[in-house]
Amino acid sequence: MLIQQLANGIAIGSVYALISLGLTMVYGILRILHVAHAGIYALGAYVGWFSFRLIGDFWLSLLIGMAGSALAGYFVQRYLYSPLLHLPRIAPLIVSIGLFIAMEETFRIIAGPHTLTYNARVGLGDLSIGNFQLTETQILILFITGLILVILWAILTRTRTGLAMRACAMDAETTSSFGVNVNAIIAINFLLGSAMAGAAGVLIGVYDNQVWPTMGSIPAYKSLAIVVLGGLGNIPGTVLASLVVGLAETFFIGVVAIPFPRDAVAFIAMILVLMFRPYGLLGKA
Amino acid sequence: MMSGYLITILITVLVYAILAHSLNIITGHAGQISLGHAAFFGIGAYTSALFYTQAGVSFWVAVPLAALVAGLVGIFLGIPCLRVRDDFLAITTMGIGFVVEAIFLYIPFFGGAMGIGGINLPHWFGREMTKSEYFFLILIVFLLLLLLDRRLGRSWIGLAWSSIREDEQAAEAMGVDLVRFKVLAFVLGSSIAGLAGGFYAHFLTFIMPQNFGFGQSIVILCMVVFGGIGTRWGPFLGAIILGVLPEISRPIMEYRTLVYGVLLLAMMRFQPGGLLGEESILPKMLRRFQSHSSEKG
Amino acid sequence: MVLLRVEGLSKEFDGLKALDRVSFTAEEQEILGIIGPNGAGKTTLFNVITGVYPATGGEVSFRGDSILGKKPHQISRLGIGRTFQIVRPFPNLDVETNILVAYGHRFYPHLWNSTLPFRQPDIQKEIDALIESTGLQPYAKQLAKNLPLGIKKRVEIARALALKPRLLLLDEPSGGLRFEESVQLMDLIRKVRDQGISVLLIEHNMQVVMDLCKRIVVLDHGSKIAEGSPEEIRSNPRVIEAYLGKEG
Repeated sequence: MLIQQLANGIAIGSVYALISLGLTMVYGILRILHVAHAGIYALGAYVGWFSFRLIGDFWLSLLIGMAGSALAGYFVQRYLYSPLLHLPRIAPLIVSIGLFIAMEETFRIIAGPHTLTYNARVGLGDLSIGNFQLTETQILILFITGLILVILWAILTRTRTGLAMRACAMDAETTSSFGVNVNAIIAINFLLGSAMAGAAGVLIGVYDNQVWPTMGSIPAYKSLAIVVLGGLGNIPGTVLASLVVGLAETFFIGVVAIPFPRDAVAFIAMILVLMFRPYGLLGKA
Repeated sequence: MMSGYLITILITVLVYAILAHSLNIITGHAGQISLGHAAFFGIGAYTSALFYTQAGVSFWVAVPLAALVAGLVGIFLGIPCLRVRDDFLAITTMGIGFVVEAIFLYIPFFGGAMGIGGINLPHWFGREMTKSEYFFLILIVFLLLLLLDRRLGRSWIGLAWSSIREDEQAAEAMGVDLVRFKVLAFVLGSSIAGLAGGFYAHFLTFIMPQNFGFGQSIVILCMVVFGGIGTRWGPFLGAIILGVLPEISRPIMEYRTLVYGVLLLAMMRFQPGGLLGEESILPKMLRRFQSHSSEKG
Repeated sequence: MVLLRVEGLSKEFDGLKALDRVSFTAEEQEILGIIGPNGAGKTTLFNVITGVYPATGGEVSFRGDSILGKKPHQISRLGIGRTFQIVRPFPNLDVETNILVAYGHRFYPHLWNSTLPFRQPDIQKEIDALIESTGLQPYAKQLAKNLPLGIKKRVEIARALALKPRLLLLDEPSGGLRFEESVQLMDLIRKVRDQGISVLLIEHNMQVVMDLCKRIVVLDHGSKIAEGSPEEIRSNPRVIEAYLGKEG
């Protein structure tokens, strides 16, 4: 029972991590609250669903979904955020909210308001040992997020690009004085972060077996809460916060029956943490 | 006598105008981003509705109580959020909006999804107010708020807010207590939103959690942004245009939200000052027109 | 008389020692120069004195009272004004209003006083006088963001003076200025001192420092490596090494 809850919590928490990492990376480098990131996530799910319909292969549809999201993220950065960086930070935030609303509506108008089933299977089958059970999609989620996190970690710590990304997040001005092309680094940030969001969209689409226009609404708020919990811009903190929220949701809802929807858990946790650890779980003043 | 339909639109626009101006105090004057303004609107509406329907308190007491409770919640939530970095307020207010809506929806005391009904227009001279009279009552309140806004803008408080909006670090080096003045703006704005909520509840006669969700917060923000953040008349203009737009856009009902989103995006991307902002189209045209006519004269 | 006493002041960022047990004093009515190569900890020193960063150790007292742990707005109200290395006047306010913000420091602590209107004839008179004495009359109604750098720096000084300070911390006032501009600014700083205000001056331009200051403190890698008159500093081997080591 306990192990089962743990596994469910980690599975859902790792998807949260995939969504929130892009958000925290964007905040780290541009100090923008990228609300439309959740739109990019939903876009990934739609592109993935559509390509799955066309070609019928889950793995390929996952890659196409990620590519679609990455491209969309890049365009958002290039044509919407970059021109607004000299303005007060409310400007890109409002653009981001407007874009998010417009994206959701576009999904609804093009693909219809109803849910579309995303019944992708890779033929792994479910795993059950006694009472403990992992569904095929849970295994997929754990495997794919694990793989992506390892790749991201390797990029950030083992490559020159990753070093430049971390340096830019600390101080873009100084980094550019060392001859690093900051604009390219920003673009790579968006490409990577958006691809991860796209992967999360596809995985949730398959996990819930559906894709729908407002599937980004709750992740939009929740991932922001997670990013604050992790300490805005802090990558390890974000992974930790994602797992904490995923576990808290499964435990509180599964064990203690609180009269709230599970989606409020992240916010209650965030407000509590802000009162006692204002810079997030791993943040520093 | 005005028609019922017209008066409904007028009252709605006025309530939005009060809301937009209250958000303008927080976001326009003090430069703090709140994404959960509708929560305080809702707290006001529910406070007034509950006092009125459960405790039998009259409208004239229930509505000020709405402002008071919204303001107190503002203090309680504002202090932890405003103590830390600026971006936290945007996210936590969004979270507050989410949690407040969930409380209304899931706790039976607040009526759940069915909301609260049986809230009536105020009584005076031994009878119920007509809608037209109610409109003038709200109009007077709105005008008083504009006066208060103007007075504050000319006071040291207004100056302290401007300095915080412009540059927090420089402001505190000049003796401005950041937390005090940010919390003051947040509490004042929240409290006025609560007042608007009280008026709205007695006009709608029944309220539901959905009236006060994130979407509503965005509509209010949209009005401020559209008219011009921090300008004196911008929020009012925004409330008029975006308050009437849904009525005249019934034929394109299907695309209304899309239009909202695109409008918000395009406005900030190309006219970040809003319609009345200093470097925007409207004031520029006005100035050109003025210089043009003075050349002639 | 000692106005500001800094004793064993330390500040660490993530284990990096930005300030390491720095001690010095500033007397009444003197201009004390603070110099050192890039990254020596000069601006960090200002930020710790004015309460922007908490110190990791040591003590700072102003007119005999400890000010460590106080917030920037409290410290400024005690009579310590400052400017910033990268100028930051309030960009969308005009020069007059920029100065008024600082003038308001006596109203902000009381909520009721804060509700009073800030445009008042007697206050205006004082502001006008300050604008005149800092040579800003031609710019009084212009938005700060539209002014040239030299004038922006002047606005920052005027704004700090509106705090009626006993001590002024100036962070590289001549940085980025043309020669004539910096000469004019130095005249202003002398004038400030003659009004009885002490000045802590961070400066890169050696000629300016040697000219203005009777005493100079030299920082390198967060530590004080020398203190003395311009002549002593000029001939101090550690100072020469610190500078040459950096640049050579």
